[in-house]
Amino acid sequence: MIDLIQAVGSGMLVGLVYSLLGLCIVLIYKASEAFNFAIGEFMVVGSFLFYILFFDLHLPFIIALPLGLAAAAGAGAIIQRLAIKPLIGRSPISMTIVTLGLAFFIRACLQLIFGSHSYSFFLELPDISIDTGELLFLSDPIWAGILALSAFGVVMFFLFRTRWGLAVRATSENQAKAMAFGINARMILLIVWAASSACIAIAGIMISNFGALSTMSSIVGLRAIPVVLIGGMDSIGGALIGGIIVGVCESMVGTYLEPLGLIGFKEVAPYILLLIVLLIRPYGLFGTVRIERV
Amino acid sequence: MNRRLLVVLSCVLILSSVVLSPASAKEIKVLSQFPMSGPVGALPEFGWGYIDGMNWVNGEGGGVNGKKITWFLEDFRYDPTVEVANFNKYCAEMSRDEFILATGYITGGLKPLADKVNKEEKIPWLDGSYSTEIFGPDGGPSKYPYYYSLGATYGDQVKALMRWIKQNHKGKGKPRVGMVYSPTAWGKDGTPEGIAYAKKIGLDVVAEIEYPYSATDATNECMQLRKAKAQYVIYHGYSGASGCTAIFFKTAKKVLKDVQLMGTHYTTNRMSILVCQEAYDGYVGVATRPFLDAVPRSKTPMENPMIKLAHEFAQKYRPEEYKRGVKDKDAIKDMFLYMEGLTYALMIQKVLTDADNAGDLSREGVKKALDNLVWDFKGMFGGKKFSYKSHTIPMMQIFRAEVKMVQMGDATVPTGSVNPITDWINSDEIKW
Amino acid sequence: MLSVENLRVVYHDVISVLNGISLSVRQGEVLIIIGANGAGKTTLLRSVAGMIDFYDGDIIEGDIKVGDSSIKGLGPTDIMRRCGLTYVMEDRPVFWYLTIEENLGAAAFSRWDREVRKDMEKVLTYFPPLKSLRHKKAGYASGGEQQMLAIAMALMTKPRILLLDEPSLGLAPLVTEEVFGIIKRLNQSGISVVLVEQNAHAALEIGTRGYVMELGRIVLEGKAEELASNKDVREFYLGSGEKSRRSYRDARRYKRRKRWL
Repeated sequence: MIDLIQAVGSGMLVGLVYSLLGLCIVLIYKASEAFNFAIGEFMVVGSFLFYILFFDLHLPFIIALPLGLAAAAGAGAIIQRLAIKPLIGRSPISMTIVTLGLAFFIRACLQLIFGSHSYSFFLELPDISIDTGELLFLSDPIWAGILALSAFGVVMFFLFRTRWGLAVRATSENQAKAMAFGINARMILLIVWAASSACIAIAGIMISNFGALSTMSSIVGLRAIPVVLIGGMDSIGGALIGGIIVGVCESMVGTYLEPLGLIGFKEVAPYILLLIVLLIRPYGLFGTVRIERV
Repeated sequence: MNRRLLVVLSCVLILSSVVLSPASAKEIKVLSQFPMSGPVGALPEFGWGYIDGMNWVNGEGGGVNGKKITWFLEDFRYDPTVEVANFNKYCAEMSRDEFILATGYITGGLKPLADKVNKEEKIPWLDGSYSTEIFGPDGGPSKYPYYYSLGATYGDQVKALMRWIKQNHKGKGKPRVGMVYSPTAWGKDGTPEGIAYAKKIGLDVVAEIEYPYSATDATNECMQLRKAKAQYVIYHGYSGASGCTAIFFKTAKKVLKDVQLMGTHYTTNRMSILVCQEAYDGYVGVATRPFLDAVPRSKTPMENPMIKLAHEFAQKYRPEEYKRGVKDKDAIKDMFLYMEGLTYALMIQKVLTDADNAGDLSREGVKKALDNLVWDFKGMFGGKKFSYKSHTIPMMQIFRAEVKMVQMGDATVPTGSVNPITDWINSDEIKW
Repeated sequence: MLSVENLRVVYHDVISVLNGISLSVRQGEVLIIIGANGAGKTTLLRSVAGMIDFYDGDIIEGDIKVGDSSIKGLGPTDIMRRCGLTYVMEDRPVFWYLTIEENLGAAAFSRWDREVRKDMEKVLTYFPPLKSLRHKKAGYASGGEQQMLAIAMALMTKPRILLLDEPSLGLAPLVTEEVFGIIKRLNQSGISVVLVEQNAHAALEIGTRGYVMELGRIVLEGKAEELASNKDVREFYLGSGEKSRRSYRDARRYKRRKRWL
């Protein structure tokens, strides 16, 4: 029982970070129907911007975090302006392919600028570990969970309680209709990409804080694929649930199946789960029920 | 940049040798390949150390009894295909009489080249791989007569750690050991041999865990080790500078408070101090080279003559790169890599000279020189000599990391080093 | 008020859709544009609303003016803000996954004044059926309700000129009548309307003037009553020729005549 609580708990904490990765994919997918394959690289860019502010310039965390996120949002906006904007109105596939190219391009740039060794990453947040002897939740994952959840909350508030959020949702549904009603769809897409890269920076900072930061950290971005496919490509709540499912699944497999001799099974388990989910619900667990008029 | 320099240098060398020596004289050609860029990262230090070393050999070092070595350096970008292709290209371009020694760096290239090197070309091949599969009991001189490794195999390294546990275990009962290794050829290499040996000498291997490079969380792995009540954890198959290592050490430090963390060659490293910081304190690891370099780089000369030599070389030939900070891309971040490049150059000079002294400067002559080699490697192993009959340099030492966080300006930075806690161990002399 | 001068529009650099079209909209009128499928009616509205770029089309010649200033090349948001020109696309351009209220809110996005809430209530009183559905997703509303919502959304932008693209598409005749009634009322409240329609009958009843478009050109122009009584228009768009066509040969003659016009 203790094992179960431990596995589910630590899985959920990491899962919340995955949710945030999923959210970033979902935001962009909803707005432009493109899948952002450069998510891992965006994550590393955001983390490095924060790294420079916090570790190199020694700004206090409270200032460095918002500044870092703003810088990440700026970077996302610049990338969108240069690479994505010319494609608005074209097929989403071409945008998806551009993100693939962006992934390679950004990775190469990062390696040129930062090299490829690891940068140590200690945030020194207050210790809030829960340790009852048998149960143990470390401080870093708890902080990651809290921050991820609050980022999720902020995004939800923005989307569902503000006029800009309403415009984002309208544009996400149909760019042409939104433009016809005076919503500047290009501007909205810029905002979506900026918000997405700010969120992703939070995920990147938390993941870097678990270990260290290097350009190779971008592999973690691939975790977002099972998350959004399980949760549903266009569902924000689905990203939350999908992330938790992937996190818990990894941790359960790690606790219960790997000791039985299935060593390394943890890596593939989310994808097996993904296959099962897609067989039952092709749109993902919470993919939008298409409004069909009869 | 390096490559251009290299091209210019080799052009000059070729030209000068053409002009200076009689046309009939046989050249000595050597091919070296290092990963200086590529997916694992920019590691130009290899090339710098090698270039400085070879230039010294051909100049002040006196060459091979006065004869100059024509050397070629290729960056194979950590890609075995490139390594193989480069070798094939040089084999096709150069005559067997002149091209008498080649070096490589990774296991991935050794496998596809096994037949080509050992059966067709029969050219001595020095390699940076510590693969147990190729240099261990199942491979070795009988199977791959022309392959030589510049370090003890991972199997020997893990066994040396097990032996250390056995010798140093305090408390009652069998020592309980957990193995954590990467799900790669590297992580799996040497692990079975180590575990078999542990059982033989009466250790309990209580957990075997695969921990992937792409991990974001090590809580589960550490909890498993805690449940298994492991007292020692051997962490094998990872670079000390990678993110997953930092995750593991940070988590282990908190979850596994009384557990001795241990590891193999590339985890025992000054880069680990920089990346894992305090979490690395107290780590015990085995390495095949002396790792005396402190963080930050100490100004006082090292005790070890080889390290001293490497520092002298770096200060003399690369003053700029030597001075720059660790975060600079064009800095000598890791002296081990620089020393490794230099090691190759010195090794090449040594065996070629031996072969020349024996009067047979050919591929077979170099092989004989390698087989008969008994050397102290400029005092690298504390003055101990080793022989090359196992086709590996069988020397290992066990180190303990001491890391302290120190306030410098407005930042806390890690300081510390890995210090030897045993004498050099010669794997050939131990009855495993 | 709004004038289009010799406009030529090409899609994807090759497909010429508008071949030099000129027309003008006067203050306070309901201008009807009728024409067969592919005549270029929708393209005309897209060009005027500034959305032609989005569909990969280019204005290669001509000009669009509101008053004396050219609006060619401006984006839809700018055109809406500067000229009070709102374009209601065909096929009920409402956001299916937003509630009716959210739809109205989204349409008011380009406004920055504080009266949005008040206007929303006011607009909803024009369309009683919408009031009871205000918290329901627009996708679940009926076709007529959606079309009303689309017009209501257009009203939220406070338009002076309203471009309506086939508001009767897919609606039952009774509902169409209701929608056209609403358009007429809006016009009476001072909004100029450009109405593109296939349903020429109903449209010409509420219109003041009309144009007939064919293959990217204006082929006929006149007062609504004149057009309604025009023999060709009756034959082709009203579907009620005085005497039924005797043979296919006659139809071909009309076709030829139309080209001449």
